[in-house]
Order: sequence, then C-alpha cells, then structure tokens
Amino acid sequence: MDETWELTQMTRIEVVINGEDVAVAEDLFSGAGARGFTAVPNVSGLGHSGHHQGRLLFNQRDGLTLLTVVLPPERAGALLEGLRSLLANRSGVMLVSDTWVSRPEYFQ
Amino acid sequence: MSGDDPVAARVRLLAQVEEAARSIAPLWPLSTAIAVNPLWDLRQMSFHQAVRQAQQVLGISGYPSWALFAQAYARGRVTAEDLRAVIDGGSRAAASRDVQAWDEPELGIRRWQTAAERHDDIFGSEVAASVDREVAKWCAAYLAGIVPAGPTGGFHAAWRTVVVFDPSARSLAGGAGRKRLAELGTDPEDTILTCLDLLGIGDEDRVPELARHLGRMPGWAGHAKWRSRWAAPDHPGPSLHLVDYLAVRLCYEAVLLANEAARPGLGTRRTGKRRRARTAPHARSEGGTHALYDGHPDRAGGAVVVDLPDDVRRHLGGLSATALADVWLAAYEAHFRDRLLAALDRPPLEPPPCPEAQVVFCIDVRSEALRHQLEACGPYETLGFAGFFALPIRFGPWWSDEATDLCPVLLRPSARLGERAVSSTGAAERELTGRQAVAASHRAFDATRKGALSQFLLAEAGGMVAGPVVLAKTLAPSWYQAVRRWAHQVIAPAAAAAVDVDPPASAMSDDEQALLAEAALTTMGLTRRFAPLVVLCGHGSTTENNPYASSLDCGACGGNRGGPSARAAAAILNRQAIRALLAERGITIPATSVFLAAEHDTATDTVTVLDTHLVPQDHAEGVATLQSALDRAGAATAAGRAPLLPGTDGRHRVTDPAGRAADWAQVRPEWGLARNAALIAAPRSVSAGVSLGSRCFLHSYDAVTDPDGVALETILTAPMVVAHWINAQYYFSTVDPDILSAGDKTAHNIVAGVGVVQGAGGDLRVGLPLQSLYDGDRAYHEPVRLLLVVEAPEMLLEAVIARNPVLQDLFDGQWVHVAAREDGHDHWKIRRAGGTWVRWTPAGARTEEDAARG
Repeated sequence: MDETWELTQMTRIEVVINGEDVAVAEDLFSGAGARGFTAVPNVSGLGHSGHHQGRLLFNQRDGLTLLTVVLPPERAGALLEGLRSLLANRSGVMLVSDTWVSRPEYFQ
Repeated sequence: MSGDDPVAARVRLLAQVEEAARSIAPLWPLSTAIAVNPLWDLRQMSFHQAVRQAQQVLGISGYPSWALFAQAYARGRVTAEDLRAVIDGGSRAAASRDVQAWDEPELGIRRWQTAAERHDDIFGSEVAASVDREVAKWCAAYLAGIVPAGPTGGFHAAWRTVVVFDPSARSLAGGAGRKRLAELGTDPEDTILTCLDLLGIGDEDRVPELARHLGRMPGWAGHAKWRSRWAAPDHPGPSLHLVDYLAVRLCYEAVLLANEAARPGLGTRRTGKRRRARTAPHARSEGGTHALYDGHPDRAGGAVVVDLPDDVRRHLGGLSATALADVWLAAYEAHFRDRLLAALDRPPLEPPPCPEAQVVFCIDVRSEALRHQLEACGPYETLGFAGFFALPIRFGPWWSDEATDLCPVLLRPSARLGERAVSSTGAAERELTGRQAVAASHRAFDATRKGALSQFLLAEAGGMVAGPVVLAKTLAPSWYQAVRRWAHQVIAPAAAAAVDVDPPASAMSDDEQALLAEAALTTMGLTRRFAPLVVLCGHGSTTENNPYASSLDCGACGGNRGGPSARAAAAILNRQAIRALLAERGITIPATSVFLAAEHDTATDTVTVLDTHLVPQDHAEGVATLQSALDRAGAATAAGRAPLLPGTDGRHRVTDPAGRAADWAQVRPEWGLARNAALIAAPRSVSAGVSLGSRCFLHSYDAVTDPDGVALETILTAPMVVAHWINAQYYFSTVDPDILSAGDKTAHNIVAGVGVVQGAGGDLRVGLPLQSLYDGDRAYHEPVRLLLVVEAPEMLLEAVIARNPVLQDLFDGQWVHVAAREDGHDHWKIRRAGGTWVRWTPAGARTEEDAARG
C-alpha cells in the first residue's frame, strides 16, 4: 500500500445470509460497534447445498442478502465470534479481508 | 480471539439469544394476528427433531394424543390397512428408525430448565413461578403504557425505574433485594451477562438456559421475538425486545435465588412440597387430551382399547413412544391422502368453453365450497390465487390518514396506495363530516371511560342508554346490526371512491404495475381466453366482539380484509397503459374484458361486488346476473356449512351463519380454516366437480404456460409457505392445546391490544382459540401435516426444490408431504425425503397386492 495514499487499514466482513437473518446480523454489527453496513438483497449463487435462487417474487425472507460491514481490526474479532456462532446452525457464507478507507472516522 | 473482551461477550450473547429464540414463534399483535408454524425457526431440522427440541424447551408433545388416534381408529378414519402400509413402506420405516434413534433411553427427553426450575425441583420452592408472574405483570404494564417508556432504552430501562417502588418486589425479595434488582446493570446485554455469571451459567450452557427462559412464557417471549425480528423498525408503541425481556427475567432469578441461598436450611430438601415431574413431556396426561404413549397400542392410559390385528400389534409393540406416534400420524395422514388422490384420479373436468365470468378467489380453504357452488350455478369459471393479488401494498382509504399493510408477512409493502372520492364534492364532504363526528364521539367515550372520575359519571349517565343497547345486542343481534348499519349510513353515507392507481398519484410506476400484473396472471395461468367479466374476489370475516377477528380475515393480506387489494388489482388491470405493456409481454386482454373487485364474507358466505359505479354500462347486466349467481352460490354454501357449526339447537340465530356473525356472544362465528389439510396447485379442471369439504387450499397453476418453473417457484415459496404456516398452527394448537393454543375464548382478557391472557394475568396466549379447533372435548380439526398436490413435471418440480433451501427443508424434513403428476394421463406419485418418487398406491390396494405376492 502506498503511504502517500493516506488510507487507513480496516477489516471488511461480508456475510451472505437468509433475508430473515438480516435483523439479527444487524444486531451483531451494532453490538460490535459498527457504524454502518451495506445490504444487497436477493443475491444468488452456488453453495454446498446447491444453487440459491436470487429474488423470490413474493418472499423476501427466504432470499439471500449480502451484508458488508467495515470496522477497525481491533473490533473485528468480537463480530467474527458472534457471526461464527450465528452461522453454526444456519446456512450462510462469511468472508473476511483487509481493506483500506480514506475516512476512518466514519468507521471508528 | 477475545475471550474476556466485553464487546465480544456482548456480541456472543446476542448470537446465543438468537439461537435460544429459535424454539419459540413470533407472536403478532391481535390486530394483525396470523397463523404461524410455532416451530418455523427449527425447520432446518426434520419434523421429529424439531418436535424433540420443542419438547425440551416448551414441554409440548408435538404429536396427536393417543386418544385422538384411538377414536380415529374406532370410526375408520385410520385403519389397520393404513398402519400396515406405513409399516411396510421402506422410507417410513427408515424415518421411524430415525425417530427411534432420537428416542433412545440414553438420550431420553428431558426438559431444559432454568436455574430457578432446578432450584424448585430440589427444594420444592416456587421461584420460577414468581419470576413468571412478576415479568408478565411488568410486560403488560409496559405495553399498556402504564410504565412510561423513556426517551432512550426499552423495557429493561423502564422497568428499572419503577421496580424499586414495587411492593410485590419487596414482598418477594425484601427491601435490599428490590433495590438490587435495579442495580444489576443499565445495559440489558451487560445485565444478562452479569446475571448469568451470578447464576453460575457457563458459556456452553447459555443457549439452553436462555431458551428455557423464553419457553416458560412463549407468549410474551413470542411478542418480543416479533418485535425484535419481524416488526417494522418504525412500528409505533412501546417496544419489548428479546434482550430486554431476558434481562428482566434474569434479574428476578438472580436476586430471588440469591435470597433463597441465604435462607437458613439450604441444602436440605424440603419435604411435603410438590416436586416437578421430570418425565418426558409427551408422557403427560392432562385433561384427557394427552394420554400416555407407552409403546403398546392397545392401551391408552387405561382409557381406550384399540383392537388391532396381531400382525400390526407385533410391529407396533416394538417401537418407542415417539416412533409409535410417528407411525400412527403417518397412517392418519395417508388415509386422507389416499382418499383425496383417489377423488382427483379421474379425467379433468374442463371449464365452460366461453365462460360469462371468471372469478378469482383467494386460495383459502373457505373459498372451495363457494367455488364449487358457483360453478354449478352457470357458465362460470373459478380460479385460485393468493388474496393480495400480487400487490404488496400499504393502503389507506380516502377519508383517513391511517394505512394498513396488505400483504403476506413474508413481504414488506412496496408502495402505498390510496383512493379518491369520485362522488360529488358534497357527497364526499358529507361522508367525511359524518366519519369525523363518529370518530370524535368514540374518542370522547374512550376518554370518559378511562378518566379517574368521569368513568363513574359515565356509568351513571350512560346506564340508561347502555342497558337497552346491551339487551338489543343480546336478544336480537341481527336486528341490532341492521340498525347500526342504517345509522352509520345516515350519519356518514358512503360516497363512491376509486383506488388511485394512475401515476403520479400512485406510488407504483406503470412498469411496476405491469410486472406485478403479469406475475399474477401467469402464476394463476390466466394468460388467454379472458371472459367478459374477470372478478378478483378477496375475503374477510364479519364477526362481533372477537379479539381473533383478524385470524379469520385474509392471511395473504396480513390478517386484514382483502377487498382493497382486489379493488387495486382490478383497477390496475383495467388501465389501458398496463394492458399495452402486458400485450408487449404476450398477454393480450381483450378490450371487451373488464376486471371487477368483490369480497367474500366467510362468516356469512355472501359475496359483494365492489366499486359497481366503475362498471361500464354495457357490462352492467352481466354483473347483475353474476351477483345473482353469487347470491345463490353463497346461500347454498352457507346452508351446507350450517350443520357443521356447533350449537344447532334449533334456534335460528345459532344455526344461521349470518345470525352467528352478528352475535356478540358467539364464540365460534365460523370454523375458519379448521380441517385444512392440503394445497392443490393445478388447473381447476383437476379438482372441479369434486367436493373437497373445505379442506384444500386451491391455487390455479398451469405447467404448460410455465416452462422454466418461475410460476411454480413463486407458488411454492410464498403461498405454499403461508399455507404451511396455517396448517402447522392448526396442527400444533390442536395437539398441544395447553401450551400452543389460545385456550378458551370465554376467559380471555385483552392486554394492551397485543394479545390475550387467560383470566386476570399471566402469559399471553399463543396459537388459536380452542373454539377454532375443538367442539367440546372432540377435536374438530384433524391434525395432519400439509399435503402438497401438484400437477407439474417431476423434473420441473425437482429443479425448483433444488434451488430453494426452504423447500428442501420443508419436504425432506417431512413438514410438508408432496404428491404430484405430470398431467391427467400420468399416475400420482409420492415424493420421499431426498427426492425419490414412488407411484402412489392406496393403502388397501397395496395390502391386497402384498397379500397376493406373499
């Protein structure tokens, strides 16, 4: 990373979960002190239990949603632990990666 | 990672609370009460495994009582042939082995317990009951607004401010203990963690501990779950969330158990006190409805004897209690399935070639009899579709600022639609003025009724008027209702109105409207051959003095009447702009076809065509003829239904459905969806001409017009899920009335508009009232799991299942049974868990074949 870019390192956590689990994931984000997140509803794909349909016309609870949250690395561990616990008994995907942001105060 | 990090501990706790809450169902407020599978969040487990977990958390049985099976056997509702067929069925035997494995003695079912329950068990105290009583009291007070909610913080924060003044808390915990209740934490999550530590509950034991805390009062916990997981974030009123609820419970438990520990004599079991039974929940015997499954089918707690053939007795005698119940339930369900498929196993009865009208009813089982009668009245074709007609809307009438969400709870409204008065300005003003006057009088009455002193004045002054009104409502309810309607019409005569669907007044663009219209028409298979009149018929139920009124309205409309949805959909489908867009998508609606809205009142079986002022003159005669046919069909349906309603003692108001609907003392205005058992997704020609006894949800579906399975997927992931919820609610309320039904209506008291309690207080009741399920001691509803009957190619069906985990859960987990055939020339097949299909053979025939082979 070029230091002249003046970016701050953060941790990005992406979760793909059922629409009906979004509310509890939001609670976990909030509990971990995340200041915001992005939700993309009705995502589709292929997982270990087969293809997952994208948008269901008249059922928003069983479609998949992609949630992306960015927070300081020191707070990521708490959230990861909660999400891992949440996903222990339900389908979902969790991806964790380093990321850099230009306005860190928005994520503190 | 962060073992002692307080943030990590809080986040981990939130996940544990979520996991603990899986065993309880959300409970919607009374105004939008809907049926829900009480074990919906356990659906990733098989039915049997989920029931087992619920036995541990809630103490339910999960299976029909042995007495119910014995009675069913005695009257031929389940036969030895049915039992043999289940015993001989390979997959069922495997399933039973699975059940047996879960029922091994070393894994014996033991109810999870809270720390207070464990203490009570050992010392004979009643701490757990005290906690329930106090928490229920404060929940009710908080939601009723008696405990003021602060500007920030929820139930826990509000409770902390008042509990320190509570004499009851002082009586239970002493002065210091009462103070301690409010000192265990300010943040609900931290409070829970503190209390769990004080109670010595380790991290690995927290989920069952918290689950049992929620399971002790599934009503209040269910309300909290609804608020936390289902309610719109901006839902008005005090909010009771799961963590607040648990925090308050655990505060009481921590303080009361600390007090108990400090009492002299601890460590010595008290004698002479009742100890809680720790037997398997399904081994309870309560009120004759939960007899003992003891592994021997010829004994039912000594009450009922079933004379089974020796071969069946031999097979069943070796099964565990739960496996035995599983076999009986499967046989009970197969008996119904065999008769239904036999009735449908005949050449299709094609609809009239040129119908004068096509009437689209909601899939609700109560529509079936009316459809059957209407088809017999003339050249009318009927179809079935979810009663919100594909419009997830928030709707408000033109004379009010308030709006109602009209869509299944699986959806959030995508747009708000209103209406406009189309009468003269004077007529509209007169209705508005009248409605405002009525509303003002109601407000004044309520204010007076609740005033500290004015309520006494009201009783004195109003008694002279109230007395005759009460007499009229009691002795002549139909007459009273007619007078009330007349008075309302005089005060606020209804002005003609129309739903505003034209952009920009409508929040839905033309493209959005066309998309939803296309979805509705293709899903129900109505894409050609339009009749001159196409009627979209919603439904609702007119009842009096009924806290559960919304449970009798349209579930697809969120527990509301379906008329507005039908009106909006008809208005959209009559727009030229929408028809032009539909034509571009291959659906051409002739200019001579007009869409109309109607509403079926399921309590009286009357159907009213709505917005008749919008009917073109050249269709007026057709509408009048149709209304006449609907009147005849409704009368015939009501006449067929009347003998099934209890209390037929010859008095007109009891036997007449309209009289029952008007009677404020009537606890069973209609049977609702009792006896629901199957959903048929097929062209109407498959079931037309067959009387299905109001037991089937009927969804029109034509696989020929659905090559990629999109319509089938829509039906299975939405209407079928809703039908399953309804079916499962009826099932569990019937088999576990003590825990999962709302109990006897006559003892209900409404609490804060969110639910009812039995008597003076306690837990909110969940599920359906007994009067919706039982006729006296006899179960009117037959508890069977939903049978999905589909006419579609097997490959198409499997492709839809493969890309929807919710369907895999429901079908492979035996929550819903599936039967299908490709078309009228095909044989019915039964889907086994995992996606294997076997040709359907009725139980009797199979036994004869087996006998011939053997």
